[in-house]
Amino acid sequence: MARTFTISGRARTCFKLLAAAHLAMAPPLPAAEADAGEFPEFEVRGLADFRFLHPSAGLSWLDRNLGKFRFLGEGDSNLFRVNEGAITVKSRLNWDWSAAVTAKYAAWQKVAVDITESFLLFRPAESPLRFGGRLGMFFPPVSMENEGTAWSSPYTLNSSAINTWIGEELRVFGGEAQASYRFDGGDRLGLFAAGYGNNDTAGVLLAWRGFSLHDYEAVLNDRLPLPAGVGIQKIFPLQSPNTEPFVEVDGTPGFYVGATLERPALGKLRAVYYDNRGRTTAIENGQYAWHTRFGSVGLRLELPWDSLLIGQGLVGGTRMGAPTGGVFPVDVDFWACSLLLTKAFDAHRLSVRHDRFGTSDDDLFPEDLNRETGHAWTVNYNYVFERSHQLNLEVSVIDSDRAARALLGEDPRQDQTLWQVAYRFFF
Amino acid sequence: MASGLPILFLRVLGLPVALAASIDARAAVVQGEAREADGTPVAGTVITLTPRSARPPAGSIGQKTAVVDQKGREFLPHVLAVGVGTDVKFPNSDRIHHHVYSFSPAKRFEIKLYKGTPAEPVRFDRTGVVVLGCNIHDWMVGYVFVTAAPYFATTDDAGVWSLDLPAGDYTLDLWHPDLERIQEPFARSAVLSEGRPLNLHHTLVLKRLRRSGKPPASRQEEDYLGEP
Repeated sequence: MARTFTISGRARTCFKLLAAAHLAMAPPLPAAEADAGEFPEFEVRGLADFRFLHPSAGLSWLDRNLGKFRFLGEGDSNLFRVNEGAITVKSRLNWDWSAAVTAKYAAWQKVAVDITESFLLFRPAESPLRFGGRLGMFFPPVSMENEGTAWSSPYTLNSSAINTWIGEELRVFGGEAQASYRFDGGDRLGLFAAGYGNNDTAGVLLAWRGFSLHDYEAVLNDRLPLPAGVGIQKIFPLQSPNTEPFVEVDGTPGFYVGATLERPALGKLRAVYYDNRGRTTAIENGQYAWHTRFGSVGLRLELPWDSLLIGQGLVGGTRMGAPTGGVFPVDVDFWACSLLLTKAFDAHRLSVRHDRFGTSDDDLFPEDLNRETGHAWTVNYNYVFERSHQLNLEVSVIDSDRAARALLGEDPRQDQTLWQVAYRFFF
Repeated sequence: MASGLPILFLRVLGLPVALAASIDARAAVVQGEAREADGTPVAGTVITLTPRSARPPAGSIGQKTAVVDQKGREFLPHVLAVGVGTDVKFPNSDRIHHHVYSFSPAKRFEIKLYKGTPAEPVRFDRTGVVVLGCNIHDWMVGYVFVTAAPYFATTDDAGVWSLDLPAGDYTLDLWHPDLERIQEPFARSAVLSEGRPLNLHHTLVLKRLRRSGKPPASRQEEDYLGEP
């Protein structure tokens, strides 16, 4: 255990130093461009996001309940929020190397300003066969929607069920190698593989809380609440009431491998297999190591008339604890899929997404109720003006059935609705 | 005045001025426009005219330099037509770096463009379509159309083009990066006679999915960095 602790401590310190080094390279604000013609060249990007929320959804998972959305209502059904402020400093170090650090403030975040990503990117000149990579802290390449500033989505405010989870629990602390072959016609085939640490608790939220629909991305020093009153503490008294998404518990690195197929102006198909190789018997500071693995497929397809289709699917499972007779204390299978259709009308955009998801459990503790099924609709209208300003009106409706709600004296099946009006400023 | 106008036209079209100098008393004028079926003008259409006789054209084919600027994080012009052997300069009018490349079979090259520092011109010595990209700004795309035809023009934003050239029989071709087909009737042969300008109207059917080469309409969508 002591050995594990040393690795964990070192790993975190290492990434914090890396993050700090990146921040130190940033120029004093607001100098977005250096004047000299040489490197490094800095670019500062970011967003400010203001919201009006109208939930009719009971208590949120942030209240340690089993609600699906992100808000802390304190009984109020009309809420004004500075939802998020994020800043990305990109520095081009030379023709092949660049660095990017994203720090954000978000409503509810435990550390007022903290880091979501911080990495070095190696991307040499385009050639038919190109090798590249990333090193540091970054999102694994699963989402096909969150491709805007600071991992925001241009289409919706709430992320899909899959991408919400990616934002909450998955981050690479390590390296990713990329190889891509570009055919004469412009088509591209890419292969990638990564090794990483600090992702041992990934999966705990899907098991004990279930899928969710929001836009909170966890930060480096985050602690996310686990549901209370559903028996977790009784069965697992060593478990902390919060999960720390980016800790190393077992000293075993995880990996993912994947492939991308891309045709310019038509679309992109990407498949990823992820395995954090968690040693399920490890626990440290109230954080268990979960063995989580999944396969994910995403498709982004440009359609005529300025429309775009994005589909994602994910199937996997997570386990925790020492097995007895081959059965684990927690063993949950999960799956989710979503289909988004979006169409731009000049500066206006209308997007509709359908999500479906589910978890099933087959483990030692039938009283630990981790089964759930659900589906959701999200409809968003947004209007962009002057390239930087975006107004949004969005409604999300989620219908979910989770047996554990009965333990809270609630109806297991609930319809929850969240209306949001947002003004987002991108710079 | 009469002789000044064609030269002005050629200058507007970015064509070699020396070509205009070769116009003699037997000069003919051909002009036209390219539109989609709904009437939308098609900019960046390249029109080439090759004499049907084996006789080489009189005089020089023209000045052998051209420019593709990097401005506002796009290639300007989006489509450039040049004769074989032309040197193309790639200045950088932006206050950021650009990293221009092509690996089209007609010309493979890579140039690193610092802010305000001119780079050596690139000679396009084989015919074909050269697709330009920028390694830093993935949305940037531009085209250099390298032709052996002695006479060529590119449509402007109004879809209009014009050429002055010796009277005679020519083979006419059209090219556009997003061209799916040219709507019939389309005559490849053109007979140009002195003193009677020939007006040509072409209706192009373009591909539904196109790359504009311009930065995204919203700042939010400017490249999320590094995903495979």
